[in-house]
Amino acid sequence: MTNLNAVDPAAVAQDAHLESADVVIGKSTIIIRRFLRNKTAVTGLAIFVALTVFSFIGGFFTQWDKETIDPFNIGMPPSGEHYLGTSQAGIDLYAMTVEGTRISILIGLVVGLVSVLIAAVYGCSMAYFGGKVDKVMLFILEALIMMPALLVVAVATSGGGAGLKRDLPSWLLLIIVLLVFSWMGTARLIRSMSMSLMQRDFVKAAQYMGVPPRRIVWRHLVPNIGSLLILDITRGVTAAILAEVAFSFIGIGIKVPDVSLGVLIGQATSQVSTFPWMFWVPLTVMFLLTGSLAMMNDGLRDAFDPSSTSSGKAKKAKARTIRAEKKTP
Amino acid sequence: MSSETTTGATDPSQSTVERLHVAGLHAPGDAVLSVRDLNVRFNTENGVVHAVRGIDFDLLPGRTLGIVGESGSGKSVTSLAIMGLLAPTAEVTGSVRLKGRELLGLSDKAMCEYRGNELAMVFQDPLSSLTPVFTVGTQIIEALTIHNPTMSKKAKEARAVELLAMVGIPSPKDRLKAFPHEFSGGMRQRVMIAIAIANNPRVLIADEPTTALDVTIQAQVLEVLHKAQEETGAAVVMITHDLGVVAGMADDIMVMYAGKPVETGAVDHIYYNPRMPYTMGLLGAVPRVDVAEKSSLVPIEGMPPNLLQAPTGCSFAPRCPLASDACLDGEPALAPVADDGLHRAACIKSDSLGGTVDVHDVFAAPPVPVSRFDAIPRAERATVLQLTDVRKHFPLTRGALIKRRIGTVKAVDGLSFDIREGECFSIVGESGSGKTTTLLEIMEFHPDQDGEVVIGGLSNKQAADAKTKGKMRRELQMVFQDPTGALDPRFTVYEVLAEPLQNAGMDRAAIKKRIMELMKLVGLQPDHVNRFPNQFSGGQRQRIGIARALAVNPKLVVLDEPVSALDVSVQAGVINLLDQLRAELGLSYLLVAHDLSVVRHISNRVAVMYLGKIVEIGAVDRVFDNPRHPYTRALLSAIPVPDPHLERTRERIILQGDLPSPLQAPKGCNFATRCPVFAALPPAKQEKCLTLEPLLEAAAPSAAVQVLQQAPVPVPDQQFACFYPDGEIDEDMLVVHEPADHLAP
Repeated sequence: MTNLNAVDPAAVAQDAHLESADVVIGKSTIIIRRFLRNKTAVTGLAIFVALTVFSFIGGFFTQWDKETIDPFNIGMPPSGEHYLGTSQAGIDLYAMTVEGTRISILIGLVVGLVSVLIAAVYGCSMAYFGGKVDKVMLFILEALIMMPALLVVAVATSGGGAGLKRDLPSWLLLIIVLLVFSWMGTARLIRSMSMSLMQRDFVKAAQYMGVPPRRIVWRHLVPNIGSLLILDITRGVTAAILAEVAFSFIGIGIKVPDVSLGVLIGQATSQVSTFPWMFWVPLTVMFLLTGSLAMMNDGLRDAFDPSSTSSGKAKKAKARTIRAEKKTP
Repeated sequence: MSSETTTGATDPSQSTVERLHVAGLHAPGDAVLSVRDLNVRFNTENGVVHAVRGIDFDLLPGRTLGIVGESGSGKSVTSLAIMGLLAPTAEVTGSVRLKGRELLGLSDKAMCEYRGNELAMVFQDPLSSLTPVFTVGTQIIEALTIHNPTMSKKAKEARAVELLAMVGIPSPKDRLKAFPHEFSGGMRQRVMIAIAIANNPRVLIADEPTTALDVTIQAQVLEVLHKAQEETGAAVVMITHDLGVVAGMADDIMVMYAGKPVETGAVDHIYYNPRMPYTMGLLGAVPRVDVAEKSSLVPIEGMPPNLLQAPTGCSFAPRCPLASDACLDGEPALAPVADDGLHRAACIKSDSLGGTVDVHDVFAAPPVPVSRFDAIPRAERATVLQLTDVRKHFPLTRGALIKRRIGTVKAVDGLSFDIREGECFSIVGESGSGKTTTLLEIMEFHPDQDGEVVIGGLSNKQAADAKTKGKMRRELQMVFQDPTGALDPRFTVYEVLAEPLQNAGMDRAAIKKRIMELMKLVGLQPDHVNRFPNQFSGGQRQRIGIARALAVNPKLVVLDEPVSALDVSVQAGVINLLDQLRAELGLSYLLVAHDLSVVRHISNRVAVMYLGKIVEIGAVDRVFDNPRHPYTRALLSAIPVPDPHLERTRERIILQGDLPSPLQAPKGCNFATRCPVFAALPPAKQEKCLTLEPLLEAAAPSAAVQVLQQAPVPVPDQQFACFYPDGEIDEDMLVVHEPADHLAP
């Protein structure tokens, strides 16, 4: 209580108790504070932001681009002219890395965000309507889980989707295919979480007030699983980047002339000993990218988890001074 | 043995050394547990919370100490600190000595030596304190094995059977192999007690052991605890918020507020001669089940202080009606009260509070509200809700592929009652008796239901279209049990209250106006509408829930355990509010509650349900003062009353066993399996109970009364379903504690 010294009616005291800013802290403030307290997570965030910025403005620092061939420097190690060296064909690696990072981040972000959104709406609807709707939707979901994603990706990006390939750049095609196969696990998780939310009284209260189902799903269910959704987005981004790298590595993802980190790594594997920079540079960038996301994810989990034991250093310091005061009489 | 709860002076200006000197560093030689200057601090986002601030007490063998207080007063933290079960982030200082050995500062491993052996604990929630994947026997034997590695398997099993028998579990040998889910809540709590007393503990800590249980089961469990204490001679620390529960059990009471004991003493002193306004308020806030008098309850306004800052004055002063400037000058220490050396209170005015001071004068209790309907006879008032022969049967099926129907659960079985304008009708009964299903049936309001529900003239049989349903929703609204769960944590109060209004198609300006009205109506500040529910206290949240229910101006409000999740002092405020709203707005209530004292306080009529049927119905005073059905009698006798003398001498009917599963409902009278009257009947009469189903009938006044009154006596508003009302009670089910159990201090 803040003002024990005023002989006010209790209601006023209580009011003060609530109004004083240090007592009621907004949930978002708590989450941000906890996140910032986790040094690893902040480092992760910094690396991720730096990489994103690099992928957009990095191209301005060199005169080369990913298509121009420099016939005087073929397969050269890093030098003043080509910061990271050139490929076997004489293309600047720095320019390719910038481009590849951008494509990888783009794929990761789009797939991560959109798949979680699909999962949220799909999962919440399943849980809310239940019964037959739930059964049919669950069947579709299970069918998609059982479909061999690798094969479909291979067919869509190389053989079968000839028409599609003509109209769409390969990275967009990959995004679509990844999207189709990435949301099911999250949707199932969200379904079970919403089902337990459905048992909560505020959903019942809304039903008894006669609020239409669509409104209940959108206004009551989706926001309440928000923290899970945010966690799932960072996890989804990592997964999508890794999937892109993996698919491109085995040659069924992004197709040349589009560049991505996976393509770069895939091309360089056979020449690790002759052109080591071609292999290690994109690999390091990929590690930085996924590693930073993983570091962030850990911090986010801690920040959102209400039972987290993370408590501030400042508070501990305060406790220590109190103890010290007690010891000195 | 005399009461020996020494509690040291806790003047903050003194140093720890001085304080300990006053409190007596060394406990009396025979104390099993002595706590000195126990302090617990937690690091939170807001800073360091000083949850427990200097507790001293000594516990002698065989004695019971009751720790009473609101939630957040530090009761549970104290018990967990003694057990060494607090999270490592908590900082515990002081001294806890068990038979002279220091417990604080021991490693977790070293503490294991004591926990479950000499120091045992019974937790609040029996549903989650047993491991679901092990049998009950395994879990008891585990407790034995850890502390007696040399015991043979056979001996351990024999001991487990003995323990189960001691806590009153029938056929203990077979039940050893049962899993926790095969037991009811009360049975599981008995198992917990069996595990706790397995190694003959010297100290047994019971943290709200009966809060999660029904009253009849609560009476059984308290009885078991009492027996366990007698068998083991253990000292018991009983933590509770319910002043009734400890009145009969405890020898000494410690009232806690804001992490500090504010009044300690023998049980009689605390209950009959409280010297601290907080204790007085707590006692005045509890409705009594045995008193018909209608007076408003005493609410303690405000909420407990948060313990981030050290209080500079009396921590209760902001809520205390007697507070003066002197109260703010330093926190008062526990000081002996004039009447008895062992009765201590932390209040500078304690000397003037003794004797005849009435709590209603100290705390301003509002006047009793009078409804405009109160004057009109019931028969002339309009009916707002009528249920005719409502049934809800659930088929019970077995089999994975082909579902066979193996029985029917009759959750609600032929329920008929009506509610008139301005009336509060309550349904009481144990959990599983069908109270909640009845509410759900009313709220569902669907033409396919079995039986007719008429709400404000609209029948469920004609409720096919959404329009009728919408109209009905405007007549009927609901207040939920858990105020936290019933409000979407992501909505501001404005959004919460706007939802039903938007749904009713009101425009923006009208909604805003109505919300401001509602906030004032339920006693909240209108400028709080932009806050989130988690910024309010429990009582305020329940007020928001009530405001939401009243938003569309309904005639009938369904209240599902509206105060059971609230603290006693807050509960009083909400009950007063409900009473006042009923009078001012002419509302009718349908109240479901397990707390019969609340029911008695607020309602006009009451129905007692057992296994989906009403066994007794009538005017509340009539039913409570003159219960005819044996189940009602048992229910009423099981409720603890905050009056130690009465508690000790009262006859209790302890029902055997739990509510039978509705599957095995008997053919005749549902209650025959547990009935104390049935058990005492001669076999010839028992036959009637087993074969015929008693109907709900009004008791015609007997011929003798008719003659005596020399005029036809009007039939009282009371109906019951029993062939042998007021019958003799079987002696095995009657329990009276001999006064010798408790030496008057």
